Amino acid sequence: MTDLVEVNLREGLGKESLSLGRLALRRFFRHRPAIVSLFLLVLMILAFFFAGRLSNYTFDAVDVTKRLESPSLLHPFGTDEIGRDLFVRTMLGGQYSVRVALQVALLATAIGTILGAIAGYFGRWVDTAISQVINLILIVPALIVLAVFAQRFGGSPVGLALVLSGLLWTRIARVVRGVVMQYKEQEFVLAAKAVGAKPVRIVMRHILPNVVGSVLVEITLLLGTAIVLESTLSFLGLGVQPPIPTLGNLIQQSKGAIDDAPLRVLLPGFFVVFFVLFINFLGDGLRDALDPRSKRQ
Amino acid sequence: MLTYVVRRVLSTVPLLIGAMYLVHVGVSATSDPLASLRLCLPRCQEGYDRIVEIYELDQSIWVRPFAWFDDALRGDFGKSEAIGESVASVLVERGLNTAMVAIPAFLVSALLAVFLSVYSSRRQYSKTDYALTGFSFLGLALPTFFVGLVLQVFWGVWFPKWTGFKPFYTGSMRTESPLELLQSITLPVLTLVIVSVAAESRFGRANMLEIISSDYVRTARAKGLSERQVIWKHALRNAMIPLVTLWALDFAALLGGSVITETIFSWPGLGPAFVIALTKPDLDLVMGITILTALIAIIFNLIADLLYGWLDPRIRLD
Repeated sequence: MTDLVEVNLREGLGKESLSLGRLALRRFFRHRPAIVSLFLLVLMILAFFFAGRLSNYTFDAVDVTKRLESPSLLHPFGTDEIGRDLFVRTMLGGQYSVRVALQVALLATAIGTILGAIAGYFGRWVDTAISQVINLILIVPALIVLAVFAQRFGGSPVGLALVLSGLLWTRIARVVRGVVMQYKEQEFVLAAKAVGAKPVRIVMRHILPNVVGSVLVEITLLLGTAIVLESTLSFLGLGVQPPIPTLGNLIQQSKGAIDDAPLRVLLPGFFVVFFVLFINFLGDGLRDALDPRSKRQ
Repeated sequence: MLTYVVRRVLSTVPLLIGAMYLVHVGVSATSDPLASLRLCLPRCQEGYDRIVEIYELDQSIWVRPFAWFDDALRGDFGKSEAIGESVASVLVERGLNTAMVAIPAFLVSALLAVFLSVYSSRRQYSKTDYALTGFSFLGLALPTFFVGLVLQVFWGVWFPKWTGFKPFYTGSMRTESPLELLQSITLPVLTLVIVSVAAESRFGRANMLEIISSDYVRTARAKGLSERQVIWKHALRNAMIPLVTLWALDFAALLGGSVITETIFSWPGLGPAFVIALTKPDLDLVMGITILTALIAIIFNLIADLLYGWLDPRIRLD
């Protein structure tokens, strides 16, 4: 008996076996760009939430004697047309942008998962109805929806997050619908049905765990899309309205001065670009890690 | 084939009608074309009545879209109050301007995407491949308005400052000579190419890699075909099939007018017209542009599906 254990150990078989989750985690930690991105992303979010407090200025303190200053020790990013500190404003702007993106990711994932699961599981007319709603959302220009709702919700961050989630849940719904349809005819679901499990339990306990991987990847994509859309809309003046700063409306406010002070436009823009870049690398790492066929060990 | 096309077109009609109805209701619910007139009421009763008549404001908001449908079916898309011309002529004029940027942008990005995906899939994990992958990741992260602003400030301010020479127009459309046309479309086209080529070449590379390692490509090599024939004839044609959908979507979006790019470079295309229409709001123009962009999207999706069948005879359309 001991001999067998020894043989197994020698051949590496007796090692503690790894669950799929452990394997995925291990693959993820070996994906260097994803780990670096995750670290930088956390750093960036911490800066958005806490770095503003290190400064002596507040985001709306006006000082007309210090208008349009170049970056200095006191004002690391300079000041704007009415002498407000741009470092604090950019950090707070990043905070609002990230908040909107997180709210959108949370809400759109919830809506998308629930409706996608319902459509995929029940099929027939329920599926047709939900699919038609998705097609309708895809056909109406997003800009109209946003312009219409921007007036209703007054351009607040939460309002914008609600509208964006209303537009962005469709991708996740499609992914979840596809996976649910793929799994619902499989034997383990039939077995669950045979022992009398209700649809809610079947979907929650038996089918949805299979979607987690694809949904996680979709969430990273969603975060990137949300932050780009937020900044684009605010850039057009349709997003969050001043005095609340976001990365988008900071760019919008200073784009008139891009010839003289390009840094004021480029700095908030770089935060958007790098946030999305890191998020995309993170998503790439997750995709590789969660794909059981992945060759990475 | 013909029945397939007819069925596809017919199946989109209810969706299109539903969308147009919702757009009409949504825009009229949030806008008040009488706001400025109401203030001066007894004096400008005439103008007030005229606006009420044009937009049928005496009727319920849920009924108003039907009048628009009625006119539209007769070929009358109304008059744009914001621009002061008929919607049809605005659409034609602006649409042509948009096409001037959209067609070159599409051709350049599609060709570039094909070359980049062939190049990096044949040299997978080489330094160039890593560099291209890095650039495409950066490209995917770049918001369009940021690319536009950077290009504008670089070619409009910095480059002329250093060299005393401004090669491209950054905020106007001049079409007097072919050279001027080229100078004015370059930057908008470049912006659109940068933002679309990243996704297209990433996708193309993944498809190409999958195809290159497939059995029939090995067969093609085994029977002694030249590398050029293997790649460009056997592999590429199949790798392009999934790309066709992406191209159709991208091209449709470009022809519908790119709001951000055209706004930044003050290009008088459909995009800025849409923003004008939405901010006024000019209901007839909103409806006109919406139906035009929706039709373009539907037509290009159909073309993509037909191309599918042509590129891959195994796909049956019925």
